[in-house]
Amino acid sequence: MTDKSIIVENLTYNYGTLVAVDHISFEMGTGEILGFLGPNGAGKTTTVKMLTGQLLPQDGRAILLGKDIARETQAARKHIGVCFEQTNLYEQMTALDNLQLFAELFGVKEFDGYALLKRVGLEGRERDKVSNYSKGMKQRLMVARSLVNRPEIIFMDEPTAGLDPVSSEAIGNIILEERDRGATIFLTTHDMWEADKLCHRVAFVEQGKIAAIDTPRNLKQLYGKRSLIAEVMSGAGLEKREISMDTPDTARSVEKLFEKEKVVTIHSEEATLEDIFIKVTGRRLTE
Amino acid sequence: MSLKRVWALIKTEVFHGPKDVVFVMAVVMPVLLALFVNLAFGEIFTDRAKLGIYDEGNSPIVSRLQSVESIDIEIYYVEADLRAATASGALDMGVVLPADFDNGLATGTVRLKAYVWGESLARNRSVIPIAIADAVRGMTGSELPVNIETVALGDESSLPWSDRFLPLIVIMAVFLGGMMLPASSLIHEKQRRTLEALNVTPATIGDIFIAKGIIGAVLAIVMGVLTLAISTSFGSSPLALVLVLALGAIMAVEIGLILGAYIGDINTLFAFWKFGGLLLFGPAIVFMFPQIPSWVGYIFPTFYVIRPVTDMTVMGLGFGQVALYVWILVAIVAVMGLAVTSVVRRLSTQALRLNS
Repeated sequence: MTDKSIIVENLTYNYGTLVAVDHISFEMGTGEILGFLGPNGAGKTTTVKMLTGQLLPQDGRAILLGKDIARETQAARKHIGVCFEQTNLYEQMTALDNLQLFAELFGVKEFDGYALLKRVGLEGRERDKVSNYSKGMKQRLMVARSLVNRPEIIFMDEPTAGLDPVSSEAIGNIILEERDRGATIFLTTHDMWEADKLCHRVAFVEQGKIAAIDTPRNLKQLYGKRSLIAEVMSGAGLEKREISMDTPDTARSVEKLFEKEKVVTIHSEEATLEDIFIKVTGRRLTE
Repeated sequence: MSLKRVWALIKTEVFHGPKDVVFVMAVVMPVLLALFVNLAFGEIFTDRAKLGIYDEGNSPIVSRLQSVESIDIEIYYVEADLRAATASGALDMGVVLPADFDNGLATGTVRLKAYVWGESLARNRSVIPIAIADAVRGMTGSELPVNIETVALGDESSLPWSDRFLPLIVIMAVFLGGMMLPASSLIHEKQRRTLEALNVTPATIGDIFIAKGIIGAVLAIVMGVLTLAISTSFGSSPLALVLVLALGAIMAVEIGLILGAYIGDINTLFAFWKFGGLLLFGPAIVFMFPQIPSWVGYIFPTFYVIRPVTDMTVMGLGFGQVALYVWILVAIVAVMGLAVTSVVRRLSTQALRLNS
């Protein structure tokens, strides 16, 4: 993570009187995965549309790989890949033809569609019509399509939404492989666990503004609380005891617990990103 | 614009594009309509001119005319029968050869009386006198002037129904392919959100519009030429005719692209086709019914496609005589081209109207 792949300054967009994106600013380093988290209507999709040149910002600017996306749209697009939330494949075409078309549009020479499809676990189904694919297979093909030009920046909008755990994990692994290749990945998701696992940093978006942006660890340290949860046997059966880990007498409290109670289980617990999101924005992610 | 990207989009559209009801309509309907009209009212199987002869003097020119392949000859023995057959449309022309016809050839004077059916095809009306002149030349060995005194029977100003339907068939062929195909293709791309996927590649909205426009225009021109071929109506300037068809196809494509950009679903497109059909086909209807004042046609943009086509095919006029209409058509195409460019710019900077 050295140079800045994405620089966003005061990006703004209104739909009439509705403020969709309200002067947001952030930067992304090369090879970074940024999770863009927020409930529906928070402005995530509008932000992605502006960053990919589908919408002209009404204020502010976005620089991708040194190019202003509003002014040098086509030049910037050669280096980006977009994986949409909703399936938008040519269903009457085969998977291979879908990829071939986009490879031609990107001007990719010596494109190997078979290799890419193998990478997303679709080997053997290359010449099947997409309409015969399951939802998980289509989503994997969407991911593959976003990679045909070996993009330097990849926008992924809810890439694992509604998928089975196997497909989700496969896509998660591809995201990590792309990160290792050096790609910068802008990931919008509702899945806090996925964001926690994959992202270097996460941004909480609410009502068109970034409420917080930092590494998951820092956010947890800043807004969360750590505790030990013990199950103890009492006359009424199993009971829970909670000991804060952020006070000076934590060790003494633990000692006392073991002296006075019959401890059956004990484990540490830290705040989740979901908890932090609620604390920062006052809203749940999936309302 | 990138030719490589446009070509990639064209290939995809041709090989994998929707072969739905619009495509079938665009390809099949004009052909069926042209076949039907020509079978019902035209001369698709008997395309030769029909000449009736009443010979008062047993002239050898009759046997010469009977050997001409491009006309059918019927001999009549009573002039009244010849006249009646011509008036009913059984003949394109009925010629009365006077008793002194052969003597007239010797003196260098050729005078004939001919009954002409008012609704006969212009092509047939011109073929018969040429055949007679050739036969006279064959008998005398010299170019003698042949004076034919014509008597029109029926409504001379009226046209056969096959000719009256021709503008409707041609405009339907051009606009079904040229307008409906790009419009429906764009609507499909929006509904399936594939346009959104294309819009984040280096392909511009302009590339996408050009690719769809080329396919629509090519299909429109092919269908236009095909319907003219079925109607055997190419006139004397086939290249000029194709040029007019091409301009009409471009106009159709421009309307189709604008519709496709703003209409959200196929049902609305068909509703427009039903309502807007009046605007598109208005001049064809005016042409079909001569009782309607001809100036009415001038207010429709499609008039400037139909008028040169009918003038060249039905009336047999040359390009020079329809040039004014063609220039007006060029101007309309240019103005609509600017409108399409404006739409492309608008779509390039605003969110595509996608159905969610």
